[in-house]
Amino acid sequence: MILLLKVNPSSGLPLYLQIETQIKHRVAAGTLKAGDALPSVRKLAAELAINYHTVVRAYQELEREGIIRTVQGGGTFVADGVPQLLKGERLRRLVPLAAQLAVEAHHLRVSEKEIVEMVQEEFKKLGGTP
Amino acid sequence: MTATTTDAALHTEGLTTIYGKLRALDGMTLHVPRGSVYGFLGRNGAGKTTTIRLLLGLARPTAGSAYVLGREIGTQQLEILERTAFVPERKVLYDHLTPHELVHFTSGFYPRWSREAVEKYARILDIPMKQKFGKLSHGNRTKVCILLALGQNADLLILDEPTLGLDPVITDNVLRVLLEEQASQGRTVFFSSHQLAEVEQIADWIGILDQGNLLLEARLEDVRSQYRVVVAGGNGLPAATSAQVLSVSRSGAFTRYVVCSGAETFAAGLRQHGAASVEVFPLNLREFFLEIVRKEESCTIGDSGEKPEYASSRS
Repeated sequence: MILLLKVNPSSGLPLYLQIETQIKHRVAAGTLKAGDALPSVRKLAAELAINYHTVVRAYQELEREGIIRTVQGGGTFVADGVPQLLKGERLRRLVPLAAQLAVEAHHLRVSEKEIVEMVQEEFKKLGGTP
Repeated sequence: MTATTTDAALHTEGLTTIYGKLRALDGMTLHVPRGSVYGFLGRNGAGKTTTIRLLLGLARPTAGSAYVLGREIGTQQLEILERTAFVPERKVLYDHLTPHELVHFTSGFYPRWSREAVEKYARILDIPMKQKFGKLSHGNRTKVCILLALGQNADLLILDEPTLGLDPVITDNVLRVLLEEQASQGRTVFFSSHQLAEVEQIADWIGILDQGNLLLEARLEDVRSQYRVVVAGGNGLPAATSAQVLSVSRSGAFTRYVVCSGAETFAAGLRQHGAASVEVFPLNLREFFLEIVRKEESCTIGDSGEKPEYASSRS
């Protein structure tokens, strides 16, 4: 399985985080479904031409968050989607995004109500709130 | 000998080399974990090649110690060379031999020589094996040198500017081969380079050498996740507050900080200080390198090249 991920080593953002974000996005959007196989660490490292340890780290983070699971000797798969992190931590991770959204909306004179509707629209695209 | 010296691929302590009046290395301490791809960075004349020469036994240190794969340089040099392959910056081999003959010739020196690896990489790197070395292009010569290093089946690959002067396609091939060696065989790759974009792509550790001393040694992903530029607007902001601030420069109403940890907390602190706007940006390796190396020169060239007088006269 080839994922065609795109990472930018010069963006200053950790590469493992770039991989993590893209895989999460695909799982959320449904292009990767529970039970789908992911490429092995070596294969993904070779595909992206990046360090092996970087991919190990990305997979570890995704596994810790319950997004993927690794079967001993049997590969890596998309998990059934039960988040492993505590609710507080899950919310904390969204705070910077919410802050950015509020700042941009303020400058563009977009109302709170319109922003809420916009977010609801995005949830719909993903097939509703999980 | 301690556990650190035996566990590491490379370990040096207080390594010093003096050539006449020049201190080429000035008490350098370096630690390269096994199985890493380590980018060894520094300006011209920083001491990179000197370091590599010492590790290979081509020169002797004035003081200090160094261990390669757990063996001490000088006293256990033969054991080191049996397990260490080297690609020098200058790619000079016998001009009248073909790569095929060079492989045959070189293999005789190495008991652990791997014919499979040579066949595989000659194919991957697309090397014309039947042409005389002297007739090959610079790119092909470099590939032959790398091939001879890979054939040695070494635990450690040391490369001095491996991709210097190569076109983007060959560079990409070479980088992929180095990554493959790390991922499949668990080898350590130690390479010097000025191509910061490629270091950023393949390295998991970096060391920055300047004037014979290691300014910084860190996991690249830690650098990416910790080091930030914080730009704050407003008057009366602190000039420098703590050890986490690497440099501060002012330009008109804005103050620019480079911090090595806790950027968000630092930004929150600035807001409490009355900063009107605070923004946090990541740094890529090039920007980071310039910050680190320029900081050492800050007494001569000023704060990160900013000209506060000009900026304030404009505002």
